[in-house]
Amino acid sequence: MLIDVHAHWGPWFFSMDVASIDANIDGLDRFGIDLQLVSAIEAIVYDAPLGNRSLAKQLPADPRLRGMIVVDPRRLDEARADLDELLAGDGRTRWVGAKIHTEYSRTPMTSPAMQAAIELTTEYGLPTLVHTWGDTVVDLADVAVRIPDARVIAGHMGANGWPRVPEAADRTDRIWFEPCWSAPEANRIRWILDRIDPGRMMFGTDATLIDPSIALGALEAADLTPDEHEAVTHRNATALFSL
Amino acid sequence: MTDSPLLLDCDILVGHDVTTGRWGRPENVAKVFAESGISGGVVSGLRAVHFDVPSGNNEARQVADGNGWTTCPVLDLRDPLGAEKELERQLASDTPPRAIRLAPTSQSVEPTYPAFGHVVQLLVNAGLTIFAEGDVRKVGPALRGLGARVVFLDTHFYYLGDFVVLARSEPGFHTSTRMLTGPDSLEIVAAEVGAERLVLGCRTPFHETRSVIRRLLSSKLSPDEIAQAGSRSLTTLLEPAC
Repeated sequence: MLIDVHAHWGPWFFSMDVASIDANIDGLDRFGIDLQLVSAIEAIVYDAPLGNRSLAKQLPADPRLRGMIVVDPRRLDEARADLDELLAGDGRTRWVGAKIHTEYSRTPMTSPAMQAAIELTTEYGLPTLVHTWGDTVVDLADVAVRIPDARVIAGHMGANGWPRVPEAADRTDRIWFEPCWSAPEANRIRWILDRIDPGRMMFGTDATLIDPSIALGALEAADLTPDEHEAVTHRNATALFSL
Repeated sequence: MTDSPLLLDCDILVGHDVTTGRWGRPENVAKVFAESGISGGVVSGLRAVHFDVPSGNNEARQVADGNGWTTCPVLDLRDPLGAEKELERQLASDTPPRAIRLAPTSQSVEPTYPAFGHVVQLLVNAGLTIFAEGDVRKVGPALRGLGARVVFLDTHFYYLGDFVVLARSEPGFHTSTRMLTGPDSLEIVAAEVGAERLVLGCRTPFHETRSVIRRLLSSKLSPDEIAQAGSRSLTTLLEPAC
């Protein structure tokens, strides 16, 4: 069982051709991914409410896809409307979490607006995947400390800030770590799992921006124990997102 | 892939990465290679990049000779006069190098600086392949129009389009595969300018080599294109220029 907790759908502004949901499905098939939690690129880089609705139309394309509702910290009233609308009825069977990007939303991790956004997603009971880079992986842990019941996933595990993951993990037990990165430095996953509980890390790819082979190669290099493998590939995600 | 192709890493580094405090130990490189199916490659010394060129290059040569790899000396772009002497020393050796590594970013040298252009011209005149670190959008234009044979070691797929635009008019331009990590990055380069422009580069042991290898082997390139990128491109680049 392999669950990808960090993926996207839609076109990018780089020289690549991944606009179709077929690009997601191709990756699921080729790399044996059983479930993929997807947010809309349109929602992240341009217009969150519009992008969330665009993704809603795509999710039925494959039963392995689940949605992540993008929240723009600068548009919280509209985000609340999105949450009410998309989670209504049986919406929670399709939408299982929230996604917040710090850089595209131009909202620093330490800002009041970021805390308010995570308070909102927490109010709706959604685990929230937050883009982290460098020291912000620790800053996110501090935000989680300040919000009772918040459950956050540090997307990219801080990327080049990965040596600070154990410090972030010590701040609170309500932060998890997802290690995808387009330029992965060697041996990060093994080094971190030697220092934190394997219950705190979960697999992600950043597809369809990044090819899933990159995350899978890094996982292979970590030489996981059977228990670590089970935890990272699906057990932690299944529990956190109630999959 | 059906058969395992020969794999060579064009981007091995040994020594102290002073920016992160991590070390590249030859024994660690050998271990990663064994686990990844890589047969060898081209090695440079971080001692030469960050501190002392002659002793750093000697160290890299010793590592190469001891492991059956190929040495790739470094020239210091902060010292073009010293670069002249070191290149002369290298070319006078019993086994002169076929390639030189340049590290403009690590050495805080902009491609517009006189030293950069001077050293590059020396290398072109000597018929050597240039392994160039740095942002392809900045380094690439400074290498145009010279007939240079270059491998850009830090091409990120965000800037893949910039590489392709450059490579269309520069037959000597190649790119490492290391950060071509998008779902169609390798395939776009192969389709636009040919798989012979792709050179497997892993930056072992600092980068996650297994990710780079898995990306290549699971790509949608043909087996022949994978073999080309996996080793043949590098082998060709290390042959003497005609």
